Amino acid sequence: MSAPPTHVAELRDVYMQFDEKKVLDGVSLLVNPLDRLVIMGQSGSGKSTILRLILGILPPNAGSIFFKQFEITRLQRRKLQQVRRHIGMVYQYSALLSSRTVRDNVALPLEELTDMSREEIDEIVDAKLDLVGMKDSRDSMPSELSGGMKKRVSLARALVMEPELILFDEPVAGLDPVIASVIDELIISLTEKSQVTSIIVTHEMDSAFRIGTRMAMLYQGKIIEDAPPDQFKQSNNPVVAQFLSGSTEGPILEGSQDAITTK
Amino acid sequence: MANTHTGNTAQSETLSANPVVVVQGIGQLGRSFLREVGAMFWFIAHTLDETIDRIRQGRVPFRAASFFEHTERAGVESVPLVGLVSFFLGLTMALLTGYQLARFGTERLVPGLVAIGFTRELGPLLTGIMLAARIGAAFTAELGTMKVSEEVEAIEAMGIGPLRFLVAPRMLALFFLMPCLSTISNIAAIFASSLVCRAYFNMAFVYFIDLVRDALLIRDIVTGILKSLMFGLIIGGIACYRGLSVRGGAAGVGTSTTSSVVTAITVVIGVDTLYNTIYTVFFPT
Repeated sequence: MSAPPTHVAELRDVYMQFDEKKVLDGVSLLVNPLDRLVIMGQSGSGKSTILRLILGILPPNAGSIFFKQFEITRLQRRKLQQVRRHIGMVYQYSALLSSRTVRDNVALPLEELTDMSREEIDEIVDAKLDLVGMKDSRDSMPSELSGGMKKRVSLARALVMEPELILFDEPVAGLDPVIASVIDELIISLTEKSQVTSIIVTHEMDSAFRIGTRMAMLYQGKIIEDAPPDQFKQSNNPVVAQFLSGSTEGPILEGSQDAITTK
Repeated sequence: MANTHTGNTAQSETLSANPVVVVQGIGQLGRSFLREVGAMFWFIAHTLDETIDRIRQGRVPFRAASFFEHTERAGVESVPLVGLVSFFLGLTMALLTGYQLARFGTERLVPGLVAIGFTRELGPLLTGIMLAARIGAAFTAELGTMKVSEEVEAIEAMGIGPLRFLVAPRMLALFFLMPCLSTISNIAAIFASSLVCRAYFNMAFVYFIDLVRDALLIRDIVTGILKSLMFGLIIGGIACYRGLSVRGGAAGVGTSTTSSVVTAITVVIGVDTLYNTIYTVFFPT
């Protein structure tokens, strides 16, 4: 066996296709420890697909995906389930179980995957809810919470198993700017405090530059730019430049249906 | 004239194309049917596999509370419906057959007829149909909504097997409750027919019970129970499978729920027929 890998996750030449639509066309990506890697790209460009591939929920058409030394694509179900315990995921719409209270939602992984007693679980749940500032809503149902609060509970649930990697799918989409900043700061402070690596998928510019320690741009199924935020801003790539400026003039809309409707 | 001519050609063309189209259609139907059956089989197999795997790790596959929550909903809350419908059907059956048999002076066959009819056939079948409509729909809609709102994926992403966690307790609840409910259905129907026999055919309750006991064989009861267990598995399997294969938002949940109920009822009746055919071939009389 070679030396233990220094990266947390890796995509190696990954191809992914849904029906006729090519989503990922040879994507390679290395995620180093303590990175806060922001993946940007247009809506529907396959950003979220990358997260699902890392979790092993979708199998790629070709290529391999690693989490630490484990090749996700080759793992048996049981092993895959064990690996997933080390990865936390925060969904765009939080994906809290609507029939369970906040406490039960956060406690779920602990109840199902560990042998802890109820008291121990309660202690951890309270600590994590406290971290995200949701301790008072412990006994609320998800339907009673606002979008931002749900996001925070979802973050607490992702943290509860002490993961090594947290995946965020559009963490601030649909939130107002103030709450979005709160969530951003929460992500930064929690990942720093718990020494966790994270991958954030977003197309909200402000949020991306606030959180990211590294930025990658996904365009037409390929990573076309991968750099620290300040270098990323200065990128010569016309696609990146257009994406950052939000201009309608440039290569992104060329030949696409959207371009035709804007004319 | 010319018009008629072209009309004829067009007609003959569609006619000549028809056999191919029909065969194609049948082929496609057959293929999607087989695919569904296969998917359903693997769905149940994977659920079993995940559950057994979990037990082998020395852990409970799901919390008892979750199981009892489903038995409460599927079972206890179905008792009034199942009881009432079976009661009315028992009344009707005893009345209709009683008046026909009374013409030959053989109305004392009524208790046996209702008892055997319900324990072997109508009890499990009626309960199956009612449970498919009442609980199958609920399970599909519930799991479908969870799937659409990414809850199922979130469970999977945590490293928890969604089949074991969501499907196993539901299927097991239906599996164990079906025999109980069909027994309640049998009792309600037999009780109803005893009322009819008492009121219209002058049969004392004691005599009625004697006639029922004479007519009923252990075999009839066992057959009924085996059927119920099978129906429970079928309804649970179809409902959960349809729920977890929902695609495309709220409309998808609606379509899947309808399809779940229709499929479950059809399959229950189909399997019942098949079961009866096999049973009568191997165990005649």
